[in-house]
Amino acid sequence: MTPPPRYEESLLEIDLSAGTVVRRTLADGMIPAFLGGRGVAARLLWDRVESAPGALAPASALIFSTGTLAGTTAPMSGRATVTCVSPATKQYFKSNIGGHFALVCKLNGVDHLLFHGAAAEPVYLWVDGPNVELRSADRLWGATVRETTRLLCTEHGEGTNVTCIGPAGEHRVAFASIMTSCYNAAGRGGVGAVMGSKKMKAIAIARPRGSRDCVDPGAFQETVVETRDALYADTMARSYFDFGTAAGISIKNELGALPAENFRSGWVDPIDELTSEFWNESGILTGKAGCGACLYNCHRHVAIPNGAYAGVHSGGPEYESVSALGTGTGVSSIGAVQRANELCNDLGLDTISAGAVIQWAMETSERGLIPLSLADGLDLRFGSEEALVRLPEMIARREGIGSLLADGLRSAAAEVGGESWRWAVETRGLEQSRVETRTTLAYALAFAVNPRGPDHLHTECLAERGNTPEAKALIERITGSRRYARGDIVDKRPEIVRWHEDIYAASDALGLCAFTTTASYGMTPERMGRLFSALTGFEADGESIMRAGQRIVTLERLINLHLGWEEKPEEYAPWRIVRETMRDRSGSEYRLPREVLIGMVREYYRLHDWDLETGIPSDGALERLDLLDLWESAG
Amino acid sequence: MNRLQVEPDRCTGCESCVLTCSFAHGQQFGLHLSRIRVDRNEEQADFTPRVCIQCDEHPCIASCPVGALSIAPETGAISVAVETCTGCRSCEAACPYDGVHFSEGISEPFICDLCGGEPECVQVCRLPQAIQTVERG
Repeated sequence: MTPPPRYEESLLEIDLSAGTVVRRTLADGMIPAFLGGRGVAARLLWDRVESAPGALAPASALIFSTGTLAGTTAPMSGRATVTCVSPATKQYFKSNIGGHFALVCKLNGVDHLLFHGAAAEPVYLWVDGPNVELRSADRLWGATVRETTRLLCTEHGEGTNVTCIGPAGEHRVAFASIMTSCYNAAGRGGVGAVMGSKKMKAIAIARPRGSRDCVDPGAFQETVVETRDALYADTMARSYFDFGTAAGISIKNELGALPAENFRSGWVDPIDELTSEFWNESGILTGKAGCGACLYNCHRHVAIPNGAYAGVHSGGPEYESVSALGTGTGVSSIGAVQRANELCNDLGLDTISAGAVIQWAMETSERGLIPLSLADGLDLRFGSEEALVRLPEMIARREGIGSLLADGLRSAAAEVGGESWRWAVETRGLEQSRVETRTTLAYALAFAVNPRGPDHLHTECLAERGNTPEAKALIERITGSRRYARGDIVDKRPEIVRWHEDIYAASDALGLCAFTTTASYGMTPERMGRLFSALTGFEADGESIMRAGQRIVTLERLINLHLGWEEKPEEYAPWRIVRETMRDRSGSEYRLPREVLIGMVREYYRLHDWDLETGIPSDGALERLDLLDLWESAG
Repeated sequence: MNRLQVEPDRCTGCESCVLTCSFAHGQQFGLHLSRIRVDRNEEQADFTPRVCIQCDEHPCIASCPVGALSIAPETGAISVAVETCTGCRSCEAACPYDGVHFSEGISEPFICDLCGGEPECVQVCRLPQAIQTVERG
């Protein structure tokens, strides 16, 4: 009897300086140890960090990794990870991307792409099954994301999947995104600037004519059906479909937990136009979209039919974009917010950081630190629609005050000086995403220890609030009691963060949407193990999946240590978050004293068996995760 | 008996149905191995599933020069006699709904067989309900 075919994944190594593409097979042992996607990418990056002198230097690596389950019927398995050293944080960075990139890449027989070097003239990569080649992107350089997508679909046929940068990436903006399927972003960390620095405009992928096999189709299907039913039964399922990620904005606003005016406040008034209920009822919601193999289909498409912003249409806005571009800037018109969102998507700008720098500019102007000459005559007050809809273009092209903001908050505050760093809501060079961490302490801890900086898409901890029966049950499973299902207590936050970071890493590695594991909860570690095993033939169970997640998280810490990560309690949270009080609508006050954060971080390190002061993993911790040899080989 | 009902306005382009169809029929995952295709306009979030809807007129049957197509009595779906089909693609041209597909390297047409009566695709479209089963009128 012939043994079943061994599961293998492919890696395309693209040397942009030489203009060559080499197809390899991933080394044995890589998939069982790191599962795929984000895990494999971290391992590949590890091999290259020593030779990479800086995020935007030609030698740096930019890795696209599809999740192991992408291209299958595993529920919500259409995700990929973009990994590199970030020009914003100068550290390890991964940015997750949805749309249809992972699905079509996988079914074209490409699992991972590693770009290094830099092209002399703009290029794009064309992938059509075994035929992969670099082509000239001269006519695409300068084009927006939608223009690029249209041009490449005209060239290669309707149904071509386009993943590209916009002008912001070309101009190496520190928060330039990479976009796919027009509106899906690898948004954070400036991954688009890395792509732009390599003169890589796009990856165009043909409608696939390839297929994937499964080692045990019966077991796979059984687990798919079980997981699918659990995901459909989750309390949040209908809400994500009906209202998208912006579900519950009015409730958050009512509670005073919606970051507003550069995190000075927790609510805005009026909020109506910024709620998805309004978009549904007013008829401006013109479509919904799902990433590959999605069940929930949370993406919106909103078009403005009349008024000053008539003709504006774009995917979104997502919750983060509404909060960053709307409530954060004090602009309450959906027309203006969707215009800014459309611009960010088209120019290839991260909406979270774009909103953050605009808010900071507004506050800095209000405090008299931005001279009129630099403001270019723009009305920079909070609530200024003019500033909101003009600044994205100026940032993306580094024009006027845009050039001050294009390198991110840390750089802008250093340039303006004075105390402007105090209202620059960032740590480690990354602008904080739209979570009010003074009221949700597991998030506060997760942000403090996150290798990316203060961001939710690394360790989403929604369950800590206990908002649904499933969330309460999960907190009970992690901590032993439902009484810990509340965000305003310190107890058990380290345990909650540990569990979430492990499953989040495994979920990213397998290519699953975060909504399957950390926002709704149908995809348990056990089911992940069964799907992985049935697909690949490698043995796995819930425990080994979580251990692989922990291995990935630990490796990311090792990469950062190698890149010079220093433990700095002042980097655990932005100054404003630890030094200023947030008052909610009822008058309750929320503080996040730094000592509380330090205590939680130490407990988190203790759980990891990492040094309490330095955050360096102990030899024992590394040995248990089979990482000690790797770490020692780095000297 | 059931037939498929497609409402393009509700389609989100996730292609869950496409993958599910492919796996249900051949235990492989492949967009080109599916009886469902989705026309995509991502810029406008406008997606249209193309699949046989078991129409009453079934011009595909009349168009077949060798009589390879018939209606399966137990489900009401179109049945393809693979050994008879010559792969001439007349059925594909005859279908006004773009519900018949040919794939590179495969000689016979892909036409929905309703999975024997309980279509799998419907199971992954429970929220959008762009593809549903309805009783034949």
